[in-house]
Amino acid sequence: MSGNRAVIALLDRAQADNESGQREAAGASLERALRIEPRNPWLWLELAQVRLAQGQYAQAITLARKSNSFAGRQHRVQAENWQVIGQARVAQGDSAGAGQAFKLSAELAQQAKAKGYHDSGFNFQ
Amino acid sequence: MTLPSSPRKKFHFNFKLPGRAVRLVALLLLLGLSGYIYYLDVTIREAFEGRKFALPARVYGRALEVYPGLKLTREQFVEEFKSIGYHENPQPDEAATYKNTLNGIEFTTRDFVFGDGPQPLQHLRIEFADGKVSLLQVRGSKDVDLPLLRMEPPLIGGIYPGHNEDRELVRLSQVPKPLIDALIATEDRKFYSHWGIDPRGIARALYKTVTGQRIEGGSTLTQQLVKNFFLTSERTLSRKANEVLMALLLEMHYSKDEILETYLNEIFLGQDASRAIHGFGLASYFYFDRPLDRLEPQEIATLIGMVKGPTVYDPRKHPELALKRRDVVLQEMVSQNVITQAQFVAARQKPLGVVQRAPAGTSPYPAFLQFVHRQLERDYREEDLRSEGLRIFTTLDPFVQHQAEEALKSRLSAIEKARKFAANTLEGAVVVSSTQTGEIQAMVGGRDARYAGYNRALDTQRSIGSLVKPIVYLTALEDPQLYTLITPLDDNPLMWRQPGTTDWKPQNYDNQFHGQVQLRTALAHSYNVATARLGIELGVEHILDKLPLYGIERRPPPFASSLLGAFGLSPVEVAQLYQTFADGGFRTPLRAIRAIVTADGKLLQRYPLNVEPVAPPAPVYLLTAALQGVVREGTAQSMTNWLPVEMNVAGKTGTTDDLRDSWFAGYTGDRVAVVWVGRDDNKPSGLTGASGAMTVWGEMMKNIQHEPLEPAMPEDIEMVNVDPVSGLRYDERCKAGVLLPFIKGSAPAETSPCGASSADGQANDSAGAKAEAKPDAKPGGKQDSGKRNWFQRLFN
Repeated sequence: MSGNRAVIALLDRAQADNESGQREAAGASLERALRIEPRNPWLWLELAQVRLAQGQYAQAITLARKSNSFAGRQHRVQAENWQVIGQARVAQGDSAGAGQAFKLSAELAQQAKAKGYHDSGFNFQ
Repeated sequence: MTLPSSPRKKFHFNFKLPGRAVRLVALLLLLGLSGYIYYLDVTIREAFEGRKFALPARVYGRALEVYPGLKLTREQFVEEFKSIGYHENPQPDEAATYKNTLNGIEFTTRDFVFGDGPQPLQHLRIEFADGKVSLLQVRGSKDVDLPLLRMEPPLIGGIYPGHNEDRELVRLSQVPKPLIDALIATEDRKFYSHWGIDPRGIARALYKTVTGQRIEGGSTLTQQLVKNFFLTSERTLSRKANEVLMALLLEMHYSKDEILETYLNEIFLGQDASRAIHGFGLASYFYFDRPLDRLEPQEIATLIGMVKGPTVYDPRKHPELALKRRDVVLQEMVSQNVITQAQFVAARQKPLGVVQRAPAGTSPYPAFLQFVHRQLERDYREEDLRSEGLRIFTTLDPFVQHQAEEALKSRLSAIEKARKFAANTLEGAVVVSSTQTGEIQAMVGGRDARYAGYNRALDTQRSIGSLVKPIVYLTALEDPQLYTLITPLDDNPLMWRQPGTTDWKPQNYDNQFHGQVQLRTALAHSYNVATARLGIELGVEHILDKLPLYGIERRPPPFASSLLGAFGLSPVEVAQLYQTFADGGFRTPLRAIRAIVTADGKLLQRYPLNVEPVAPPAPVYLLTAALQGVVREGTAQSMTNWLPVEMNVAGKTGTTDDLRDSWFAGYTGDRVAVVWVGRDDNKPSGLTGASGAMTVWGEMMKNIQHEPLEPAMPEDIEMVNVDPVSGLRYDERCKAGVLLPFIKGSAPAETSPCGASSADGQANDSAGAKAEAKPDAKPGGKQDSGKRNWFQRLFN
């Protein structure tokens, strides 16, 4: 996710908060992490997931797109982003759009698998 | 129905019976008096309850996040210490102390309650190497590495209640006993036994009034508190009577301790410009820069001495009087056994010891604070801001702010000197924000950054001139079938007629027309005529309709001249506009506040990051490439005097008619900054965007660590090697030509043999740009025909 231990520490905290339903606090920790690594796609993805859990679907989709804009050729994070977009679209009642997103997500996940270790997800900034 | 007549009679006043009349009058008087007392009672209780908790909102800057690898020098870190009130100490184990070591610093943080909970005091060690943090550890029997430390945020200002009263609330238990004892010894020895008034004092006051002398003295602490609630210089008998009654009423409702605690927090102890210093807690910081429990006896005596007359005995303004008064209080203290004889002797020999400069109470960053206040006013009632003791966590970065202030001040003075302008005729404003989070890191409202008056960053709307052009070009680039970075634009004379306005003949800054120029060149050199023609083709309304998308709510006049920026915006609005360009088409509303926490540490509100996609990423990517061209080879070329070329800065100069306004808006990899320079009277400043605002921008940014600008390339963008003159495609292996981004499918298909135009030395990009600037100068036959073909292809 990151080569920076400070960012990892904040991510851990955010994930713990998110799992215990403390979405606002999770968002705050992720924003702290983003101030350190503003172009790290994994952090934007995490924030998208938090917003999705909060029911902020439009915001979740935008953040996932933003994550994708920083993802370059990292298919794994792209696959996850399209998952978020798909789920948000389901919640918005856009089943066709959701289907497309899930399909794209599956393809990207396949490519990520094929590439294997090349796409370990590490992003050194 | 008839009423019996006899009872009715009883209601007739019978003035023949004087006893009854007297009794009635007495009853009425009593009723009136009790009504009046009831009124006083309500008034004083409201004042007491209200003031008891009237705490200003405290505004904090960003908390510095420190971690191994962070670009930070020891000097910068020590600056941070100063801004949060740390003191150097050979034993840095007390909160807020530090000690320099060979490779770094040992220090101890304070307890601090953040928006996400409390952070306890920590004993730490930091080391630096090569301009970076190389080590961060918790000191202990065994040192432990710490991945991340969040420092306490600097206090940058307050939002004060009512008449700009500021206070630092203290609980009675936090107040040192000698202070309380000294206060009672000096002001009201019978405080714990009286009912709120001192009959002898009142008798004396009455006597003096009757004999025509001044009304004075005789006030108990309770009376003084009442007086403080309704501060007025009026000294009348009726006011004194009210004071006495209210003091009695207060004592009926509240305990001595409650009254004393309120007194300690309420009493007026000085004035700092527009801010009133209330209570001993704040006065302790204001005069001695230390908390109350760390004051020495003579300092306590100085403060107690001020109770009698905060202006007369102001230790900064009247040190001799203050010293005399202090010694009187010390005398009282020793005679009442508050201090020992030895302490008395020692204390008397000490100087006043007042810190010369009061810690900034009214904010050192008035422009930013004003912005914070306006954001708060949307969500909170003014009275809550001023009384609930809210703690407001903001985004201000004191380091960036300092660079912005210094750059503006020094550059404006230098320009005035170099051009022999009268001193202090130029003004300016700066806004700096973080690209990806939209957080405002610095805001300067004028060259005197401490002046809390007219805020040019927020409140001045000046014509933005060419700063508007990116919107025109972005609108064009959103249609890749018609427009790419190398699409030729027509910069020949233009006359435009539009109902409702006079005929319009835009001119270029150099008063020349440049024939056919590539789109990126027209933007790099800010050609007005080519831009106007492009904008008219695209539709004036169509372009202006886009402004709200970028967060600009003001609607410019629907004339073609608006395409060249003949309408006013404030620097902060311009920053919002460029933020979207810098962030790949995502708009993030500029924010100054992160979170608001209540006085007792509960999170009240968070202002989360909000992102909205407003422009497709690919055209924005092209626009950024073109704006990088502005800096690399266009109107902002002289940026190299400040920032290295590798920074790849994107930006745009703005110059308005008769050189009234000088603008520069630009971005690096992580910051967007906007500078305006001009005169308040709107007279010509004699400056272009490049000779004025851009120099401030460069001066400011050169001292701040930046990420170079390398925008993420959208998937539908490809890099294509083209001949910069003909716009034909080169073979990928060809070393001549210039690599430019195109939206897939929009790059020229027709190829040119490698080296066709490199033969005459026009192969590299900047030379190419020069050739385009004078397109008539170089068109070789072959290129000409190639160009025409390509033209036809584009417009067919």
